[in-house]
Amino acid sequence: MMCRKIKKRTDRVLIACLLVFLLFLTGCWSRRDLTEISIVAGIGLDRTEDGKIILTVQVVEPAAVQSTASGKGGSAQQKPVFAESYEGETVYDAVRGILSVVDKKMFFGSAQVLIIGERLAQDGIEEVLDYFIRDHDFDYEIYILVAKDTTPMEIFEMETDIDAIPSVYIYGTVDNTESRGTVKKTMLIDLIKEMSGNEKQFAIGSITKAGEMRVKTEGVAVFRDGKLAGWMDRYETRGYLFAMDKIKNAIINVPAGNGKIAMEIMRSKGKISVEFNNGELSALIVNVKVYANVGEYKGKGRLETPDSLYELEKALGEEIRKEITMAVEKTQKEYCSDIFGFGSYVRKYHPRYWKKAKRDWLAIFSELPVIVNVDAKAERVGIVMSPIE
Amino acid sequence: MVRRVKKPARIKTETRIPAHKYISSDSNLPVPSTVDEVKTRLSEIFSCCSDFIQREISCGKNRLIKIVVAYLNGFVDKRILNQDVIRPILDFLSNAAMNESMSISEQLKECVVVNNDIKEACNMQQAVDGIVSGEALIFIDGEETALVIGVKAPQGRPVKEPDTEISIRGAREGFVENLLTNTTLIRKRIKNPNLKLEMMQLGKQTKTDVCICYIKGIANEEIIGEVRRRLKKIDIDSVLDVGIIEQYISDSKFSLFPTVGNSEKCDKLAGKLLEGRIAIFCDGTPQVLTLPYLFIESIQNTDDYYDHAIFATVIRFLRLTALLLSTLLPGIYVALVSYHHAVIPFRLMITLAASRQGIPFSPFIEAILMIIAFELMREAGVRMPKPIGQSLSIVGAIVLGEASVAAGIASNLMVIIVSITAICSFVVPPLIRVIMLLRFTVLLAANLMGFLGIIILIVVVFAHLCRMRSFGVPYMAPFSPLTSADLKDSFVVVPIWAMVTRPGILRQEKAEGAKGTKRQEVMLNSDVQKD
Repeated sequence: MMCRKIKKRTDRVLIACLLVFLLFLTGCWSRRDLTEISIVAGIGLDRTEDGKIILTVQVVEPAAVQSTASGKGGSAQQKPVFAESYEGETVYDAVRGILSVVDKKMFFGSAQVLIIGERLAQDGIEEVLDYFIRDHDFDYEIYILVAKDTTPMEIFEMETDIDAIPSVYIYGTVDNTESRGTVKKTMLIDLIKEMSGNEKQFAIGSITKAGEMRVKTEGVAVFRDGKLAGWMDRYETRGYLFAMDKIKNAIINVPAGNGKIAMEIMRSKGKISVEFNNGELSALIVNVKVYANVGEYKGKGRLETPDSLYELEKALGEEIRKEITMAVEKTQKEYCSDIFGFGSYVRKYHPRYWKKAKRDWLAIFSELPVIVNVDAKAERVGIVMSPIE
Repeated sequence: MVRRVKKPARIKTETRIPAHKYISSDSNLPVPSTVDEVKTRLSEIFSCCSDFIQREISCGKNRLIKIVVAYLNGFVDKRILNQDVIRPILDFLSNAAMNESMSISEQLKECVVVNNDIKEACNMQQAVDGIVSGEALIFIDGEETALVIGVKAPQGRPVKEPDTEISIRGAREGFVENLLTNTTLIRKRIKNPNLKLEMMQLGKQTKTDVCICYIKGIANEEIIGEVRRRLKKIDIDSVLDVGIIEQYISDSKFSLFPTVGNSEKCDKLAGKLLEGRIAIFCDGTPQVLTLPYLFIESIQNTDDYYDHAIFATVIRFLRLTALLLSTLLPGIYVALVSYHHAVIPFRLMITLAASRQGIPFSPFIEAILMIIAFELMREAGVRMPKPIGQSLSIVGAIVLGEASVAAGIASNLMVIIVSITAICSFVVPPLIRVIMLLRFTVLLAANLMGFLGIIILIVVVFAHLCRMRSFGVPYMAPFSPLTSADLKDSFVVVPIWAMVTRPGILRQEKAEGAKGTKRQEVMLNSDVQKD
């Protein structure tokens, strides 16, 4: 009796041991130490003249970053980052090919920005983005930018004194659009959504070089059918972002008398819709409601009366309306790209109409009149009401 | 250690009987009737016992009555023996006022001996047991029984603050080795005849006094019965420490988690008793066992109840964090740097990578090396004589610090992690050893499978914890089963004036194999403390 009990117990222990040993058979697969990978900070994609893909990566040298941060080290210091590129038939080909010049395997999960070259953008970006969407290694919150008048390689080879890692610096400039609203913050995940839901009409923030050590992220690149159609400047971009309800905070200059009043947008609500007339689409509508504070009054004038504030509100609304109209009309007339997503709005709310208009939607879209309604409210004028005289 | 080793049955029958019975043939025989016989018997039994003293006194009117006094030297208080026992006897016997109808020993017992603690020994076994436990034996020629008189001299160190359990507020008194002192300390705090102390002896060779202590009416009778049953089943030669009893009566003998608690602090024990727990005192051990012992008790401390409830609650959460950190932190670190680079924030990733640059070992090996170094130091620190402590701490600071980083053996961050782990493990003293072993397992799991491994391990450990019982009470109570009334003293401590009911879980559970009962019963059974 006792014997059998003991035997049963040893059996159990044996089985447990065997199960534990099973774990060791896996051999720690997919384990990679942090020191065995190249930490990629930025990825660049461009196309050569003969149609190959150029992959550029900006790789961080952690130890060098640390020593820059702590301020030690002499003149013969290692650079905190290096950029390397490789040409391949496909993106994946280039990703593996680049290992012939860099020793450690690339880790893309840490990449901050993905910069697309102008030439590649003109040829269409959907096919190259497929790799980034398909592969599990990528952070879907990576910022995407299109390089204007420059190449990704140039940007990544640029040395900046603002941050040891240029990609982080670029990331920061895109991120702070929350307080200026002049560049579209495009994450990979948002881009995927826009590409699939918006009939391949979308806009991506743009980046340009500004001198030897600086970049500038302002404006957007407008895409039609996945191909670069043109650019919008910062005011048009802001109009676009107002309509898309993406403005968090921005400064609008409102002419007032002989000077200008800088209004700080505190909250903004943007909505697009369309208008039907006798079963036919008659207009595109953009409704925006903003709340703003007086941030600065450059010039002479008085702000004490409700009337003056009312005037200010009207002027502010007019300014914003101008920007939005500019943006919509540019996409309609010049680029013929529905980046605002009026098409998907129609598809969602007027599916019957969409069915017949679907085929030549862009033609219909570019002909429609635009109605922009801006309801602006001035909330606070600050500590002083009128400028000091 | 003189514990009986389990041997195959055949040999057991041959060796066991003479091993623990010092008088194999006549243990149950009555005490011989003449002084000479008694003396020879005792000399035989206590041969080669240099501390054994027996003295024959002739007294009475014509020096006709012979009495024998036998005791162990140093064990009894000779002054009390002489003043309160022998002198009255001699005075009494030399006077003629003897009652003929009663035996001398009965008369002595009734009206002569001053000492209160007096028993009659009917056979040799009882007589010898009395002598070895520090009592004096008095035998009067011609009587059938001998008298055993308790004149034990107080021994052991004075009551001091225990070194193992430090608290900021509350009583400084700690238990000592002497059982009677300990029970007195408890009596001092709970002045109530319902405080029951059931004495028994364990250990065939050592005959150690063991005492079950509980408050009748508060403690669960079924659990008390179960404790008695388990104690009676203990069949060993020696009980040198209460820890031996603990191992015998624990529910899950193979589990690493303690199911029996212990304490050296009087006020803590009193609190446990008042909650309905049962204590086991063991002579010669300053630690007192408390049971049932639940998981939540490992993060409870007496200070929690003496201070503002908010502080106590915050500190409970700190302890819980410490518990989790010290088990999981090295594992999480290894999983992060070996597998899950994507979840590390970018800046931290660079810092981590920079600190790991040039380390020849994998993070796992690095962690194991550092933790083993720390555990060695801890163990050495515990065992080592105090004067050498300083040199150890200097060496330790060098090994577990800048030197190992400078030598390129460990990264800066690993040193920080091991230090945090070490500090955290001291926050929850009852679980230090469990945490240590778990930490290694977590590390291994993290190295094999990353977070997946850690999560599998956590699930297994929690399943084990939830399955465990301490004397029939679910180990993870009040969380599993969820007893909302008992949550008042778990991670959250409610103010003491709001803590009006005793832990219900201790009352209503059946002692063995009981299933969790319905919540209504818990409410019914948890009686009000302030009655």
